[in-house]
Amino acid sequence: MKGNHLGELEELVLLTVGSLYNEAYGVAVMDEIRENAGRDMNISAIHAVLRRLEEKGLLKSHMGGSTNERGGRRKRLFTLTKAGKLALDQSISLRQSLYERIPNITYSFSI
Amino acid sequence: MNYEPPKWADRFLRWYCNPRFLEEIEGDIYELFDRRVEQQNPKVARLKFIWDVFRFFRWSNINRTNSKYTTMNHFMLLRNYLKLGMRNIRKNLVSSSINIFGMAIAICFAISIFIFTDAQLSMDNFHSNADRIYQITNYVDQDGNDNLWSDSPMMLGPALKTDHPSVEEFARFEFRSTVAKYKSEVFDELAVFTDPSFFKMFDYEMIAGNRDVLYNKSNVVISKEMAIKYFNDEDPIGKELSFKFMNGKVKRLVVGAVLEKYPYNTSIGFDFYLPMENFYDLEFENANDWAFMTDANFILLKEGESISSIYDSFDKYKELQHGSNPEWKVRSFEPLVLTDLSTTSYMIEGSVSGGGHPAGRVALIVIATFLLGMACFNFMNISVVSASKRLKEIALRKVMGSVRREIIYQFMVENLLTCFFALLVGAALSYFLLIPWFDIMIPEMDIQFRTNDPFTLIYLMLGLLIGVGIISGAYPAFYISKFDTITIFKGNEKFGSKNLFSKIMLGIQFFLAVMTIVGCFIMTEQSIYLGEKDWGYDPEGTMSVYVNGQEQYDLLKNQVVNHPAVINHTSSDLLIGRGITKVSFEMGDKQIGVRRIGASEGYFDTFRLRMKEGRPLTDRAEDKNGNVVVNEKFVNAMGWESGLGQTFTYDSTRYKVVGIVEDFHYYDFFSPIDPVMIHGLAPEKVRYLTVQADPEKLVDLEQHTREAWLAIAPNDPFDRVFQEDAFDGFYQENESNINILMLITGIAIVLACLGLYGLLSFNVQGKLKEFSVRKVLGAEPKVLVKIISKQYFWVLLISFLIGAPLGTFGMMNLVVSVFPDTKPVTALPFIIAVSIILITLIVTVAGQIKKAINVNPADLLRTE
Repeated sequence: MKGNHLGELEELVLLTVGSLYNEAYGVAVMDEIRENAGRDMNISAIHAVLRRLEEKGLLKSHMGGSTNERGGRRKRLFTLTKAGKLALDQSISLRQSLYERIPNITYSFSI
Repeated sequence: MNYEPPKWADRFLRWYCNPRFLEEIEGDIYELFDRRVEQQNPKVARLKFIWDVFRFFRWSNINRTNSKYTTMNHFMLLRNYLKLGMRNIRKNLVSSSINIFGMAIAICFAISIFIFTDAQLSMDNFHSNADRIYQITNYVDQDGNDNLWSDSPMMLGPALKTDHPSVEEFARFEFRSTVAKYKSEVFDELAVFTDPSFFKMFDYEMIAGNRDVLYNKSNVVISKEMAIKYFNDEDPIGKELSFKFMNGKVKRLVVGAVLEKYPYNTSIGFDFYLPMENFYDLEFENANDWAFMTDANFILLKEGESISSIYDSFDKYKELQHGSNPEWKVRSFEPLVLTDLSTTSYMIEGSVSGGGHPAGRVALIVIATFLLGMACFNFMNISVVSASKRLKEIALRKVMGSVRREIIYQFMVENLLTCFFALLVGAALSYFLLIPWFDIMIPEMDIQFRTNDPFTLIYLMLGLLIGVGIISGAYPAFYISKFDTITIFKGNEKFGSKNLFSKIMLGIQFFLAVMTIVGCFIMTEQSIYLGEKDWGYDPEGTMSVYVNGQEQYDLLKNQVVNHPAVINHTSSDLLIGRGITKVSFEMGDKQIGVRRIGASEGYFDTFRLRMKEGRPLTDRAEDKNGNVVVNEKFVNAMGWESGLGQTFTYDSTRYKVVGIVEDFHYYDFFSPIDPVMIHGLAPEKVRYLTVQADPEKLVDLEQHTREAWLAIAPNDPFDRVFQEDAFDGFYQENESNINILMLITGIAIVLACLGLYGLLSFNVQGKLKEFSVRKVLGAEPKVLVKIISKQYFWVLLISFLIGAPLGTFGMMNLVVSVFPDTKPVTALPFIIAVSIILITLIVTVAGQIKKAINVNPADLLRTE
């Protein structure tokens, strides 16, 4: 078991799901990541990450209503769970605290 | 316009995808498809659709169970089952050891037989060209029978090579006995003349020298064994060996190469390889022509060629052969591939490769299967009965939510665990005991714990584990898991004590045991009968010495026959026990095969052959040329009513029968006795001096003869035979057979005992309360004995009644095909089988009965 460690891609997807609030499904997440992060990813990879995050309990999902697009097929919509939100908070605060500890002197090494 | 994605890709997706995810996945890639149709073009969209379908093809989307918790649970349960299995083995140590030990014995036997068979079947397949090397054998018409002969025309090999581009090389074998000499080392040897390409065709490794040395006709190639025998520590390369042949000619050859020790699965390996050209020098009259039959013709096909490419020349060769040798007509040629030679060699007359009759091999495999079967039944029986102690555990598991499948799974795991231990013990037994024992018992084969391809052994072990584990474990597992929880808890499950199934199992097991025991004893009886058979003459105190011609004979005779120990003496050209030549001659319109010996006066007294009618041969002139003594078979074969005074012509000499001798054995007891004629001996043809001496002074006489020989012929080996040793090889083989059969019988008995013991101990254990009550109410020990043994009596009787005739029938069929002369079946094997099983029964039952009798009823009946 990998534990509850969050991978870089997982974190990115988690953030995107959070920002898409209630409209997060496979294709939307993929588009969002392409626009914001500039990363072109295959839809199957997005699905895999979403399912993994759900298994870890950071996301929950439900099936949306059917529409006329997609041949009437429903979307699986993802939302952040409490644990997901907590994981994001922890990861961001960890980065923040580490970032703040970088002394100014570090910059003087660059020539 | 409405574009559609490729149908097949969508179908593929629907096929592999877990239905739980299908809708969302299909929805997403359809959405992407529609978008791409608009933004890019339909063609790209379709390609990308296909790409997406393949990208979704991953295990997490395919896996239907889709829960990592389930697999983890399985794994954890497996650990639990293994732990429980180990505890159960430890808890029921006696019955588990019986199970494991019984199975281990059977597995040990199966592994050993497999290794043994593998060694025989993989003969000669280590040559890199093995599948391209063929021996061209031929069918020869003899007395109207087509016999397959290894001997084939000398010209066949060279003709095939010139006529067919598909034939790359040929090598012929011509055997000659010879006296090899290096300094003071002189021994009788068998030399093979062969074509120089021999070492190009066959892969034998060389310690020294190169593969082309035979192209130089003054070279000889020797085996490692010979290098040690003749040269000891010296380097043999470049040393000169001299070979003296039967016709007196001598060849001096230089050792050009020494072969490495032959691999264990070599059936064609000799000690001295001489270039064929030397053979032409020795016996020029036999040089290349179609009349002369050499001992074997081997060819090597070019790669990718088929053996059928040479068939069309066979008619031509047949004509050539018939033209030059009308006496010995080849009916048809029969190419045999090298790897099949040793398994078919029993059918080939004069075969150059060893290999026994397959009947023995088949018998061993059948017996190994029987023993495994017995062990499996044993196992089933004990597992089913021992599960009766665990009914509550099973019921409790069911209550806690186990489904039947899980209980089956649990019992299978436990059984496999037991089998695994049995396999370990069995392999160890085979490695340390049985295989080394086989190696000693069968001296002509080098048997080691290995298979030709090491993986075969691994597959065998895995196969045995899974096969035996599943066969023996499946029934208990399915049977036990079937029980109804409530019935078990109510205590109503009638099981274990009066189970028909376990009796049937025991019955089958005893049936197999009876078959094996009866079969083995019949075979043993036949072997002992062969071993004790009358030789037809008295070998005691008789010694023969090989002499090279009349001169040596006269000198030696003068020195030896005056020794005080000598009672009788005689001379002959061939020797009983060393095989005597078979000739065939025409009698009226039929051909008969006859063995002949040339002998002088005193022959019948020296060997103490028994005359039936007439008189023995003397040294008078008419006996030397024209009078013969024949055996009873001869008279029968000729169809004479009375043999005395009859005449016949052989080799343009007219013979008159003056005496008839009782049939006697001249080779071994496996081959039937042929007609034999003993005729007078021309003095120049003498080869053996035979003396009959006082058996106690024989050693003395031998010493005396050896010293005389050294003075007369220092260049020839002293070759003497005690007639009592003549059939030694035969007796050894016979003894090995008896030993192996005894071992098998022993194993069968042990397995049957173990089965009975295991079953009985459970049975008595379960009935101890009943016995206690009976005892309290005044039952005598006699009654208890009756109750315990009664239920097994009928099972044993029935299995004996079925097993004994079947065992007899099977074994007699085998016996008749191997032994020429069989003894009718006596009651002895049955009596032995019955008594062995009865004793087994009594011994096993006695222990349990003692337990039942000695138990204190108070201990068992008290509830507090």
